[in-house]
Amino acid sequence: MRWTKVSSRREFLRTASAGAMAAVAFPSFLNAAVGPTAISVPGKEGLIVRSYRFLDLETPVEFMTDWITPVQHFFVRNHMFAPAAVEGKEWKLAIGGQVEKPLSLTLSDLQSVPVHSVTNTLECAGNGRSLQSPKVPGVQWGKGAVGNARFSGPSVKALLEKAGVKDTARHVVFRGLDVVPGKVPPFVRSIPIEKAMDGDTLVATQMNGAALTPHHGYPARVIAPGWAGAASCKWLTEITVQDKPADGNFMIPGYRMPNQPVKPGEAVKPEDTHSVTGLTVKSLIAGPSDGAKLKPGAHVVRGVAWAGEAEIQRVDISTDGGASWNPAKLGKDQAKYAWRLWSYPWKPAHSGDYAILSRATDSQGRVQPESAVWNPSGYFYNACDQVKVYVQA
Amino acid sequence: MYRLSGSLLIFALLGAPYTLGAEASPVAELPAGPTQEKATAACASCHEARIIVQQRLSKAAWTKEMDKMIKWGAEVDPKDRDALIDYFSANFGPDQAPYEAPRTTAKALTKLPTTKH
Repeated sequence: MRWTKVSSRREFLRTASAGAMAAVAFPSFLNAAVGPTAISVPGKEGLIVRSYRFLDLETPVEFMTDWITPVQHFFVRNHMFAPAAVEGKEWKLAIGGQVEKPLSLTLSDLQSVPVHSVTNTLECAGNGRSLQSPKVPGVQWGKGAVGNARFSGPSVKALLEKAGVKDTARHVVFRGLDVVPGKVPPFVRSIPIEKAMDGDTLVATQMNGAALTPHHGYPARVIAPGWAGAASCKWLTEITVQDKPADGNFMIPGYRMPNQPVKPGEAVKPEDTHSVTGLTVKSLIAGPSDGAKLKPGAHVVRGVAWAGEAEIQRVDISTDGGASWNPAKLGKDQAKYAWRLWSYPWKPAHSGDYAILSRATDSQGRVQPESAVWNPSGYFYNACDQVKVYVQA
Repeated sequence: MYRLSGSLLIFALLGAPYTLGAEASPVAELPAGPTQEKATAACASCHEARIIVQQRLSKAAWTKEMDKMIKWGAEVDPKDRDALIDYFSANFGPDQAPYEAPRTTAKALTKLPTTKH
């Protein structure tokens, strides 16, 4: 087991994460959020600023106690600059490439297509990158580049059927209105035609029952449910059907995983990699917080678990550093592609240090591993989650 | 393709959609040093320093990042390249303490401190 017994309180706290130490210094993270170092981002409350320009915001795990993540707490991942205010009335979506009849659709055209809704756990492929060792370059996400929301809009299938997909169609390319600086390659990616046409992949215009906000891609974005967030292009303006995948930096070398496990720190040739697709199995502990000091008595360990296109079957909890495990109770809310809440009542038997772990298992038999598989881009970090707490009588 | 130009560039540099009357910049700064100015000039037209100051990379990894960014439009005089790699490696190597990121508030602030590393 990699969770070694800790020898002293000092050592124990030294090994708690820096983020957790900040939480100890500011027991109320909500108050800390509006403290002297807070940065004003209208519409976003208490999120961790990984980058302000371009904007990348992370959800603190302590917020992950609701099945539906409110928009104000939902993480933001921008690769480029968000477009200046997009006018819904002037916005158009072009559909072209390997189709019988290219289309140019307005927002009201979209609204005449039947609406489909998907509750989707959206996670950035790089979520947890900062926990990889050795470190890899990229946005140093902690645990919270993930959220669960209800997205609504026409399916990509319904729109492509209007245009008439040719037999040569194999991949569907999405392009957004984000603004590209310098000679940076544009953020353009594609998904295979099977995923685009599965009926659940959306051109979403709504999130949690309201129009998308600018941070989340107003007026329309792709939602490729269960897949890494990079497939879900924001500020969508063009859909191109092709006989081959999109090229460019964000398809190769970007957003690729090694075909075989590699040694930590080892370089991987592009031909030995594949494009990221569905998310892996994962759980997070929302509370108690890492580094928390608890009173003796009854506590509840709680959190979330998701598995991309698969379903969560169980979440097991250890309160003794991984020596023994017991099942958590899964929350009643569930939907295909959506995370499950889970909870585990816990009454620590004595004062002292505890390492609490969570481990999810899914319907494909995948189990959250003790340690994540290292890869050069830091994608799909999914080691069993862990928090350390101190119980003091 | 949508590229920054003219007034749009100024709009993006000011971070206009987010500041709402803030007096100081909410973007991070690179640490003091002989190459601070050159590093800021090379990097900050496309992204703020916070994306740099949160990295903890070996010199080999910084070298790869530097060459990637030069390819992507970072304006670096070839004679400054090695000094910049040394500057990033010295300040943001694997042994540095983790970067502590600030939080957002949905409120419009009237006064913001400059976030320094």
